[in-house]
Amino acid sequence: MGNKKTQAASRREFLRNISNGSVLAVSGLAYYSLSSCKQPSEEKTTLLTTDGKLVKVANSEIEEMEHLHQGASPEEARKGIPGKKFVMVVDLAKCKNAKKCIEACDKHHNLTPDRPYIKVLEMQDNEKSAPYWMPKKCFQCDNPPCVKVCPVGATYKRTDGIVLVDNERCIGCRFCMAACPYSARVFNWGAPPEGQLDLPYSPETSLPSKIGTVAKCDFCPEMLRQNKLPHCVTSCPNGVIYFGDEIDDTVTNGEETVRLSTLLKEKAGYRYMEELGTKPRVYYLPPVDRLFPFEETTQENSES
Amino acid sequence: MKSEKKLFRYFLEVIMAVTFIFVANITSYGQDELQDAIVTLSFIADGEAKIIQAKATDQDGSPIEDLELYFYVQRTFSLLPIGDFFNTTDENGIVEIPFPEDLPGNSEGHVKIVVKILESDMYNDLTLEVIKNWGIPTRVDQFEEKRSLWAAAANAPITLVLGVSSMILVIWFIIGYIIFILYKIGKIKVDKHSHFNEEKYFKDILENF
Amino acid sequence: MSKPNIELQKFRTKRGKRLLSHLISTSLQYKLWIAFLLLLIVLGFIGYYRQLRYGLVVTAMRDYTSWGIYISNFVFFVAISLVGSLFSSILKLNKNLWARPLTRISEIIAVAAIICAAVIIIVDMGRPDRIFYVITHLRIQSPIIWDVIIISTYLVISILLLYISLLPDIALCRDRLKEIPKWKKTLYRIMAINWHNHPKQIALLQKVNKILAISVLPVAFAIHTVTSWLFATTWRPGWDSTNLGPYFVSGAFMAGAAVIIIAIYFVRKHLKLSKYITNLHFDKMGKLLVLLSLVYLYFNINEYLGPAFKMVGVEGEHIIELFVGKYAPMYWFVQLGGLVLPIVFLMFNRFRKPLPLLIISIFVVLGAWFKRFLIVIPSLQHPYLPIQGVDDSYLHYNPTWEEWTITISSFAWLLLIITVLIKLFPVIPIKKYRQDSEIIFKQNIF
Repeated sequence: MGNKKTQAASRREFLRNISNGSVLAVSGLAYYSLSSCKQPSEEKTTLLTTDGKLVKVANSEIEEMEHLHQGASPEEARKGIPGKKFVMVVDLAKCKNAKKCIEACDKHHNLTPDRPYIKVLEMQDNEKSAPYWMPKKCFQCDNPPCVKVCPVGATYKRTDGIVLVDNERCIGCRFCMAACPYSARVFNWGAPPEGQLDLPYSPETSLPSKIGTVAKCDFCPEMLRQNKLPHCVTSCPNGVIYFGDEIDDTVTNGEETVRLSTLLKEKAGYRYMEELGTKPRVYYLPPVDRLFPFEETTQENSES
Repeated sequence: MKSEKKLFRYFLEVIMAVTFIFVANITSYGQDELQDAIVTLSFIADGEAKIIQAKATDQDGSPIEDLELYFYVQRTFSLLPIGDFFNTTDENGIVEIPFPEDLPGNSEGHVKIVVKILESDMYNDLTLEVIKNWGIPTRVDQFEEKRSLWAAAANAPITLVLGVSSMILVIWFIIGYIIFILYKIGKIKVDKHSHFNEEKYFKDILENF
Repeated sequence: MSKPNIELQKFRTKRGKRLLSHLISTSLQYKLWIAFLLLLIVLGFIGYYRQLRYGLVVTAMRDYTSWGIYISNFVFFVAISLVGSLFSSILKLNKNLWARPLTRISEIIAVAAIICAAVIIIVDMGRPDRIFYVITHLRIQSPIIWDVIIISTYLVISILLLYISLLPDIALCRDRLKEIPKWKKTLYRIMAINWHNHPKQIALLQKVNKILAISVLPVAFAIHTVTSWLFATTWRPGWDSTNLGPYFVSGAFMAGAAVIIIAIYFVRKHLKLSKYITNLHFDKMGKLLVLLSLVYLYFNINEYLGPAFKMVGVEGEHIIELFVGKYAPMYWFVQLGGLVLPIVFLMFNRFRKPLPLLIISIFVVLGAWFKRFLIVIPSLQHPYLPIQGVDDSYLHYNPTWEEWTITISSFAWLLLIITVLIKLFPVIPIKKYRQDSEIIFKQNIF
């Protein structure tokens, strides 16, 4: 008898473990269906929620949030991942404004297209020089102007170099937005699009976002904790974005893995507006020997 | 009811897992003409130079020539290739590649070196992992403990803390003193019979002002 | 109280009657004025209710123009709150006896303005429910925290300044005003803290007065300098300037002087105080306004000449936008109508008469308000990286009706606080004034 009981208990535990994973998917698609007007699909899958209920969900929507993971708690998120210093290198020679990074980022941070964390800017340094595309995220500066000015410590610099926002602390003064020279921050002016998202809040996922607080690109720390690359890196079809650990001296774009020092040396890597002294953690490789000709903004890629 | 549903769910999971294993087996059985190669690694530290030597033999112990080996160092997100673009064994089945001198390891200098055979026509895929202390020991900068303008509240620059607090203390001491004097003013007893010369008083004030 | 109390009240002197009568009688005009202000405040509450309910999305602020007229209005209120220190400290320590009758009104305006500044900054917050985080989680590194500290300090000092100069007059109200409602009697009795013109009390009060007159000055300078650092600690064009502190302080004194002129004009007219606030006061204030405007003009030239000469990147774009671009009409209205022309006109005697001076001062105050708009908003619209890939609404800033009603109601609050304080307390210091005026005439100061 006793043996049977323990078996049942362990099975229950096992089920709970599964359900912990799937509940995220369930809640994720719950908000997905709120934020999009997709045609309901006929095929459905049964999923288990935390309280043991089975729910039927259209197949097409399950996929959408399969990567949604739960980040660390607000207290835990302040510490950073030990022994790491994350760094990003963006190769401007490879970017052709495919905007897949924006799409992936919007999807995983549940953003509307009018205020993305990532922007791909059409840049032209002067009239004679050739225009190029410049993907821009938060630079996660080592001398961060936004963190300096925050009156309540809602935005902070972690030991792994990432600057995060705790939207349970943010008072919405927007001083950090004024202080950021790169316009990296966005504000939740109104209610966030997902409505009530039933997830425990984590600054590492920036989800669920809250009205009246600041948000920004976060380098996806919940992915980094699993030694996975941020969504913008993996989604780029052209391998534009390299990501890695400065301490490892290695960056990868998912396909190619190179040493950071070699890459910066050989391709003359630079940081945007070095003269401001903000010490960004995002490097750029100049747009030379382009893979793609620069195409003017078309109807297709200009829609925002 | 609930437990039945859970059971159903469990059942589904098991079926999915079994399917996956089955598919994996088919792929491996499909290439049964391939052999297993034996790769032995030796690490030669000759003064400054660090060399990884790999020797590939087949099951009979005879060296394999022209076998491509891939050398990597395990990094956070991926494997960093080291050596040349192609590293092919010679007639003795040996290939040597230099280990980069300046590659960081962990805090003790340990690095995980990975050697692979990948998609060979003759041999099965193979992965060898060895941990060596050939990396440069890295020291993590504990910058969170440094006082700076961007640090947490507890790590504000000491000069700033002292400066601001002394200014606050001075001005609020004055405010407190003024309130104390106001309290004293309220406590002064008035002698109803004494005549107070208002005219003279105001003249005095103006002269002193 | 069907009959006007003023008939029943016995005043000891004609002066007392003049200066105290408005505390007793309430005119229809006053009631209408209060009703008007309350109406504006109610409208503001409707706007603010919508903002609380739907978030800051009801404003025209967006990710690039992330600060709007709330912040420029805040800077404006901080600016005019400096006027209290101008009169209570600078003019007092310089023994400008003519300014004495204006001290009380300037202190009242200072208190009202600093209260409104503190409130309007809460209105700007995205999460006003977390206001106390600035105390419980404060980071001393943030200029906002410095501003919170200095604003609360200056608020206390302004109230003390007003109260200490009022104390003998409150006692006088307590002793002489008999035909007033009971709550007023209680108010005067409590606030007078047993003041009986005892020589010891007077000596102590004089001491306090001197300490305050000296200590308010650094605090007053600090409050506007720290407010300027909210901007100067960033990299925005037009803000990234070492000139910003003195630029803000000098602009504040100019705006404050103009506000005082407007205030004394209406106080004199409605309380019939032309014997106490004379044309000479207007003349003096006009001259003071010229002086302060010239100082501000100097800092203005400093602020724009360097960037306009160099035309560096976004600084250059910003300058072009102000000089000949989208904001040029407002910019030139502010610089010419609110600064240069007032200086020119006020050089002439005939424009320092009450009415022309009032009109000029209104232009100066309008200019001062729009100047702060120009300091805050265009700078935010010229970031280093181009504005692309966002909604069209992010490119412009045209304040919504919610923002306007809230801003207008903040002015209604300012005027309401001033009006109520004037209604409760003598607006001209009674106790000293007669003596002062004798000396003034003897010394031929006017």
